[in-house]
Amino acid sequence: MKSDKKRQTGRGAANLVILKRTLFLMAVCGVLLFIPLVVRLYQLQIVQHQELESRAIDQQTWDKEVIADRGTIYDANGNVLAMSAEAYYIQLSPHEIEQRQEEYRKQVEEANQAETPEEREALMPKYDEPTNESIAQNLAEMLDLDAESILTRLGRTDSWSEVIKTQVESDQADLVRAYAKENGLSAGIYVLPSSKRYYPYGSLAAQIIGWVNYNDGNRGAYGLEALYDEELSGQTGRIVTAKDGTGKQLLYRYEDYEDAVDGMDLHLTLDATIQSYCERVLSEGIEKFEAQDGGFVLAMDPNTGAILGWANSPSYDLNEPRTISDPNLSAQLQEILSDTTLTDEEKSAQQTNLLYQQWSNKALNQTYEPGSTFKTVVLAAALEEGVVSENDTFTCTGSVMVDGYPQPIRCSDRDGHGTQNLARAVANSCNPAFIAIGQRLGTSTFYDYLEDFGFLSQTGVDLQGEPSAPNYNLIWPRDSFTHVDLAVASFGQRLQVTPLQLITAAAAVINGGHLMQPYVVESITDADGNVVQHTEPTEVRQVISEKTSERCRTILEQVVIPPGTGQQAYVAGYRIGGKTGSSETLEDDHTIVSFLGFAPANDPKVIVLIAYDNPKPTGPNSNYTSGMYYISGGNMAAPQAAELIPDILDYMGVAKQYTDEEKANMDVAVPNVIGMTLEAATTKLTDSGLEVRTVGEGATVTDQTPLTGVAIPGGSEVILYLGEEKPTDRVTVPNVQGMNRDQAEAALANVGLYLKSTGLTVGSDVRAESQAIAAGTEVERGTVVEVHFIQSTASGGAGSGL
Amino acid sequence: MARTRKRDLTVEEQLARGPLDLPFLMLVVMLTVIGVIMVFSASYPTAINEGKSATNYFVRQAGFGAAGLAVMYFISKINYQRFRWMSVGVLAVSILLLVAVLIPGIHTERDDGVRRWIAVPGIGTFQPSEIAKVGVIMYFSARLSKRGSEKPPRISRRSRWKGPYYLLKHAGFFELVPYGAILLVIVLLMRLEPHMSGTILILAGAAAVLFAAGIHMGWFVAGGGLLLILLLGMMAGYQSTRILVWRDPWDYYATGESYQIIQSLYTIGSGGLLGVGLGKGRQKFLFLPEPENDFIFPVICEELGLVGACVILFLFALLVLRGYWIAIHARDRFGALLTVGVTTLLAVQVVLNVAVVTNLLPTTGISLPFFSYGGTALMIQLAEMGMVLSVSRQIPAAKQG
Repeated sequence: MKSDKKRQTGRGAANLVILKRTLFLMAVCGVLLFIPLVVRLYQLQIVQHQELESRAIDQQTWDKEVIADRGTIYDANGNVLAMSAEAYYIQLSPHEIEQRQEEYRKQVEEANQAETPEEREALMPKYDEPTNESIAQNLAEMLDLDAESILTRLGRTDSWSEVIKTQVESDQADLVRAYAKENGLSAGIYVLPSSKRYYPYGSLAAQIIGWVNYNDGNRGAYGLEALYDEELSGQTGRIVTAKDGTGKQLLYRYEDYEDAVDGMDLHLTLDATIQSYCERVLSEGIEKFEAQDGGFVLAMDPNTGAILGWANSPSYDLNEPRTISDPNLSAQLQEILSDTTLTDEEKSAQQTNLLYQQWSNKALNQTYEPGSTFKTVVLAAALEEGVVSENDTFTCTGSVMVDGYPQPIRCSDRDGHGTQNLARAVANSCNPAFIAIGQRLGTSTFYDYLEDFGFLSQTGVDLQGEPSAPNYNLIWPRDSFTHVDLAVASFGQRLQVTPLQLITAAAAVINGGHLMQPYVVESITDADGNVVQHTEPTEVRQVISEKTSERCRTILEQVVIPPGTGQQAYVAGYRIGGKTGSSETLEDDHTIVSFLGFAPANDPKVIVLIAYDNPKPTGPNSNYTSGMYYISGGNMAAPQAAELIPDILDYMGVAKQYTDEEKANMDVAVPNVIGMTLEAATTKLTDSGLEVRTVGEGATVTDQTPLTGVAIPGGSEVILYLGEEKPTDRVTVPNVQGMNRDQAEAALANVGLYLKSTGLTVGSDVRAESQAIAAGTEVERGTVVEVHFIQSTASGGAGSGL
Repeated sequence: MARTRKRDLTVEEQLARGPLDLPFLMLVVMLTVIGVIMVFSASYPTAINEGKSATNYFVRQAGFGAAGLAVMYFISKINYQRFRWMSVGVLAVSILLLVAVLIPGIHTERDDGVRRWIAVPGIGTFQPSEIAKVGVIMYFSARLSKRGSEKPPRISRRSRWKGPYYLLKHAGFFELVPYGAILLVIVLLMRLEPHMSGTILILAGAAAVLFAAGIHMGWFVAGGGLLLILLLGMMAGYQSTRILVWRDPWDYYATGESYQIIQSLYTIGSGGLLGVGLGKGRQKFLFLPEPENDFIFPVICEELGLVGACVILFLFALLVLRGYWIAIHARDRFGALLTVGVTTLLAVQVVLNVAVVTNLLPTTGISLPFFSYGGTALMIQLAEMGMVLSVSRQIPAAKQG
């Protein structure tokens, strides 16, 4: 143990140093050095976790979009108004194309080094070198593009994605795909699926449906497409697959699949048939009345607020939203393009402006002075408040002075309507009478009704671009609503409303007093057809009582019965009620003529508002157009309503109701009397309200004119042939245009033809506007010629608020 | 040959048959097993990509691990006093190998011209620097444990070097000359490979032994300062990009220079608190370079999360602490210094590896002990652990009462 002892004595101070220093190393290497590591790991794995993870995932995954089908838009009957179909877009990857080109050159090089010609042949690529120039040239030809611009984009060799064309149809896409395959460019030129929007009805309800902007990620740009974009577009799905660091797909490491959720479908209250009626009436009228700024036609179910038809002009084809097709706008476009004083920027700005005009929903985005159509609302308020009754009389001297206004306010009839009861005052659209009615209501109550009928708020319709309300630039604020304002407001002037506000308020007047919230979308269904959202008719408030509403309907029906201002809207059997209007604008000789109509008067099923903007007068201060139409709602919009409302009611299957007087004037279908005795035949015909003329001497009827089933006016003569041969010669149709009805009937009867009158069939103050069979045509005897009559004199005039 | 009976043994021989330090042994085995498993998880994408079997690296690593554990046990059975004389041989061999590796034909041919590896048929490749680490620590420990008996060179009292001589003698300079000379030779040889990370580790191990042996603190300050100057000088060259990349790796991502470290950060960051699950990491799919090697720790972080990474670090810390505990309780100064050297080397290697992969330090190739793929490195590592265990056998039992 000697050595041990020696060692122990050697310890002491030296060993203490070792111990101390080892303890120091222990603290440093065993504890202290690990602390920054843990802190750093915490920082990376917890604090920066999401950032780093997402970057890592970005590089680890292929993220491929799965495009969701955009929902379909249907009309009330399930007709497709807007649908999506498959289309493609062409994407180049200049980076990969460059690689392909290098591979091609390499392959050629290898082939050239081959020893035998056979081998060289086998190694040589089977296609020409895909140079940028040849690719650009070929693609440009296939896709109708500019080769130069493709070439430029091919030059960006660090890019992986250059989309050169979207919305490519499948036949073109197939061409491109085949080209890419044949030239070894399948990895370089990509044909990728997307979708394209089709609008089968073209321009039908263009401003309501709107369109999808391909340049903006297929998002809805206008109309319902924009408003319901979220519902329609659905959820883009993704396929996420893992890849390794070299970009190879790791199929066995399947990561994520997110189904694309197809968009929902919209079911509109709009009916394509009613809509087409509205558009036809609108475009016909615009042409006939030379309406320079278009117009609009609204059709609504007054009881629910459901919009049935909504036509705007100018309009456009939804499939080509950037093309101007409206005749008026096209003319303006030509003017702009040929104007040499404009710079290119100005031209394009003005062109864009025209596009905005055709895209805008005139009847919602713009306001106008409602004019006399507004009297319906004033009437309802006065009746509800009990300040007037049907027995009250109003005396009109042609003008009236209002306190606080220096000039007399004139009526349309400069000579005055004389003394009239309430119904006549409405039918005459008498301004002094309505000023008196307004004054009886007083400013405060009148203003209450402005609010109650919704003129100071938005209607809440589910469409884009309803102006915010109240807008005191359009309607006076309550505290500055004076007596003079009241006077002009009573006949619908100096206040601006949207057409939709007006028709909604008018619907409340006639539907029993319920102000409804108008709507276009009936329901939204998901891709499986489950109803996701259904619009229930929403009553905003009850404005007037059922009783008052009924009284209004009775009075408004009188407007349409001759000699009311709306008499041209009269059609026997349909019980149309309404109110004409001619609105002033700030421009000279710019009138908006309108007619607010509903039917049947006893139980309204539809309410329409027809307006033509700016019919072209023959000259300054002229009240006539070149077609000799008097510029007024009664002479322009009302007769169009007479076409529209019966069409709609017939389509809806609403039963006709005839008054006794109407029945008497109705056409009669000629019964078959051939083979009968003269006596029996005569009895049968006179029972049907027809008269008899005989030709020949026999006792039995051998032939008749007209033949059975032909409808002729009651009281017309039926010719019975008693053994005599029926003449088979043809007669020439005379020109009856400009004649009144008696003259026309006589002229036709003269050559053995029958008259069937349409248009303004009652009243005497009419002229034939057109005849169904042109003058000079040879027809069989007994043929019925349909002649359309209109009023020959002015019923209300421009600037008089009628 | 019949087993010698216990009473016939010397005290030293009796002590060498003492019990192994169980905590240390358990920690080593645990880390080795976890390490081999992680090599499997981290290496299979690489293996597949190289057209090998998915288990290729795993099987090899597992084999080396098992062999290494056996070697460790065998070494732990050796009375460590024998390491005193063996150390000279080990050091000599390692210096020879460091020279040999520079000779064409002996080192493996690589595109980058780095000469670090020697191929051994049947085993694979190994780095002579790994052996040099052991050699330096062993030799230094052995020599420093006999510090007291060393005599400084004498000098004539009349010599005109008398002044500086006494100054140097007082500072302990002469004592350090052999150590310095050895290190200088090794550093220069490794500079020719080049192998900076290996150099750093050898210097760290040597410094730890010198430090624990009680060398004057001034020398460490001076040495540290010198190294710093050298490092700064080296950074002027190509290393400077490495520093710039280190300071802002995102700036260099586009140029590709920071690809590796950015991928490492992605990998670590992806793990979050609990990780994506063992084997489910994605970054090892050819995004992260060398996921089975120097960058295996990020894979651990990704798959096992912060919790798993901290558990691994905790195990390492425990192993290091236990190593120092053994050093403190070692029977003699040689055992203590040897253990301090091995333990410090291990700790420094772990800390540097993790610091590099987390971009706390500029990138340099340091592998993670027990984890990084490499059979010979693992075996040498385990052999070092065997030496510590051998020391632990001779710890005198605590006195009763």
